[in-house]
Amino acid sequence: MFETGVRQFRLALGMAQGRRLDPRNVERLVEDVLATVAEFGEPGSDAAELVDGPMASPADRLEITNNSLRRTALRLAAQSPFYARHFSSAQVDPAKLDVAGLRAIPVTVKADLIERPADFRCTDVPPCLATRTTGTTGRPAEVWLSRYEVELWSALGALGSVLRGELRPGDVMQVNLSSRSALSMHLAVSGCRLAGAGCRPLGIVSAETSLDNLAEGGATILLTVPSYLGKLVTAARNAGMGAGDFRLRRIVVGGEVLSTSLAQAAARTFGVALVDDPYSMTEIVPVTGRPCSQGHIHHDLNLGLTELIDLDTGEPAAPGALGTLVITPYFPYRDCTPVFRYDTRDVARRLPDAPLRCELPGIPATSQILGKADHLLRIPGGEIVTSRQLIEAIEALPAEPWPARYRAAASDDRIRLTLPVSAIAGHDEAEARRHFAAAGLDTDLDIVGDDQAASLRHTRGDMLETTFASQPALVGV
Amino acid sequence: MPVPIFPIPMWEQSLTLFCVIMAGVILVCAGALAYFRRVRMERPAVGTFNARDVVILLVLIGVLPWVYGWLPVPVVTCVLVVTFASALYIGYRPMLGPVGIWLAIGLLFGFNIWSSNHVMGTIAGWQLWYAEQSITVLLSAIAVCNLYVQGGMKLRYVAWLSFGLACYDIVFASYYPLTGRLLARYITHPLIPVVGMRFGEVDYAVGLGDLLAYSLFFLAAYKAYGKGAATIAAGVIVVMGGFATAFIPFLFNFTNANLDTLIPAQSLFGPAAFVTYLWMSRHYGRERTMAEYLASQDGVAGASLAEQARAPEPASVRPDGVREVAS
Repeated sequence: MFETGVRQFRLALGMAQGRRLDPRNVERLVEDVLATVAEFGEPGSDAAELVDGPMASPADRLEITNNSLRRTALRLAAQSPFYARHFSSAQVDPAKLDVAGLRAIPVTVKADLIERPADFRCTDVPPCLATRTTGTTGRPAEVWLSRYEVELWSALGALGSVLRGELRPGDVMQVNLSSRSALSMHLAVSGCRLAGAGCRPLGIVSAETSLDNLAEGGATILLTVPSYLGKLVTAARNAGMGAGDFRLRRIVVGGEVLSTSLAQAAARTFGVALVDDPYSMTEIVPVTGRPCSQGHIHHDLNLGLTELIDLDTGEPAAPGALGTLVITPYFPYRDCTPVFRYDTRDVARRLPDAPLRCELPGIPATSQILGKADHLLRIPGGEIVTSRQLIEAIEALPAEPWPARYRAAASDDRIRLTLPVSAIAGHDEAEARRHFAAAGLDTDLDIVGDDQAASLRHTRGDMLETTFASQPALVGV
Repeated sequence: MPVPIFPIPMWEQSLTLFCVIMAGVILVCAGALAYFRRVRMERPAVGTFNARDVVILLVLIGVLPWVYGWLPVPVVTCVLVVTFASALYIGYRPMLGPVGIWLAIGLLFGFNIWSSNHVMGTIAGWQLWYAEQSITVLLSAIAVCNLYVQGGMKLRYVAWLSFGLACYDIVFASYYPLTGRLLARYITHPLIPVVGMRFGEVDYAVGLGDLLAYSLFFLAAYKAYGKGAATIAAGVIVVMGGFATAFIPFLFNFTNANLDTLIPAQSLFGPAAFVTYLWMSRHYGRERTMAEYLASQDGVAGASLAEQARAPEPASVRPDGVREVAS
């Protein structure tokens, strides 16, 4: 108890002073949380403050944000060649930077990171691990991490997970993410190790293989992407499997839009209360967003700054308007390849200015992620249709076509939607159009063969990894 | 070694001391148990009492007497005021509220400081001072005991702590008389951490540290294994902490140069507590956690969630030994 207090004090002091934290100290705090849970069944009532920070007061929040921004900008100006030029050309003095003056700095876009990755890297830390984006939106970007980051993120992630009861000793986490997602895999494996849980990093293998491991391997947590989850639900239903066949208590997905219909089906099929859909992205780790019961995404205050920028003006989005998330991870949480005002192109809607009434009212929030800015459909007349609207409508079709395969384009004042024939199985086009109209989408449908389905929309679940067991065999007799 | 001539027979003194010890033990153990069953202290978000905390406590217990001996008496009084005020505030704010607890602390301490300077000219004055002093110390012991046990201190750690205190007592009450010097220097000053009473011209007292060790052993046994184990623990406390402590002067002479009889109570109780723990762990098996204890109490004596106290801090007071003073 006494030394736990000292560890907490060291962590708080490091965070307040903006010094590099000691990952081992955080790892020991994870052990302390596990001991606390073992003794008391749960952490004390102040646990939320330990995870989310004591920043309910807007004035405190602003002061901490300004200090964190200055600290981060100063380091980047000194150590990152890209940002030294970036700040200089914007005529910004990092030492005087604050939230109000932030708009003077142009956002960093993915193309910058792809074209000049070496310029982003800080010169005072040796790179340790490279991780790449999946490249589903084009060319992948590469982000190098320092050993410090690799160790710190694992420890901080595990600390948050065990404090919230998301990960417990005895859990078995099955990870169905692309095996090339080095960072995600590493965080999952090391987080489980620190929490005393088991981890089965399977990769994107055949749905049947994953189901066998889920059921017989006794997994209690499933970490995957929504498109692959759709495949698992379909495969489980085809195999006649239901909630009684699994021990799952949590399903966590990310990286793609999760539709309500798929989430509900997955919860029913696998016997969990709900499917967690937090927000994260390779380029902006370790900053994350946490969903609440009212469908908001609450953005991390401690590790970075999240802005919601109007899609057209670059100014802060107005209440009710769409915007793109622009995120700045703070030093000392981001070390080797930092980004500053990184435009994620992930679109969300700004919530009304009224006080939040969910379980996380002290943490700023936006709507859930509605899709990528580059995939928005702008209908003549001013209406904007998001990927989420389309995916929600398609995946709610009676045929339950998970994951949604579609191509959409604006045509006059309507949406021209291309679907594979299996998506409307059992119904004619008129019924399908009525379904979309009920979802607020005036569509003209183009129906193509199922052989073209995968080419309509690439998903992370398509990156199937072969195994000796799953390869077709040629047997000569 | 001086051999005092007592105005009353030794058996009568030992019997009186036994009664004083038992009064303190019964009050502190019963109070701690009642508090434990009724009040849930608020605990920190993360942290439970572990083996390293026992080591830290023992180091503090070893170091603090030297510090107390070095500091001027008024400074020691200030340190004791802060320590007792912290214990009382943490323990009783849930019941009295923020205003009530500070009022109560002010009254207790104010009367204690006043009586330390004004009422000791008569036996009745001494008795009044001891009574008020004992109330403060007993309430503090009850609060600190619950702070530790509700903070996750297991019987295993209490046993090791008692064993460590036994070694401490043997060294500092017998071979190097630090405890006796401290007591001689600080007796009659406010907030001296003893529970006691004057009968005739003899002071009979038991230290806060001893009472804390007894109540921790009793309460931790109750939490770990239930009523049966608590009854056994109570028996060990009565026999080794009470009877043996009070009557051992028949076998050994503990009178020091100040003619105080300072009995190293923990050197008798500590080993007995440790052996009892070993037997209990073998007989009963794994100790209950706080969560398991609370689950077992559901619907029996559920503590009110409204009754919440602050997070624990280490108690910094543990003077040892029983003082039996011929004046």
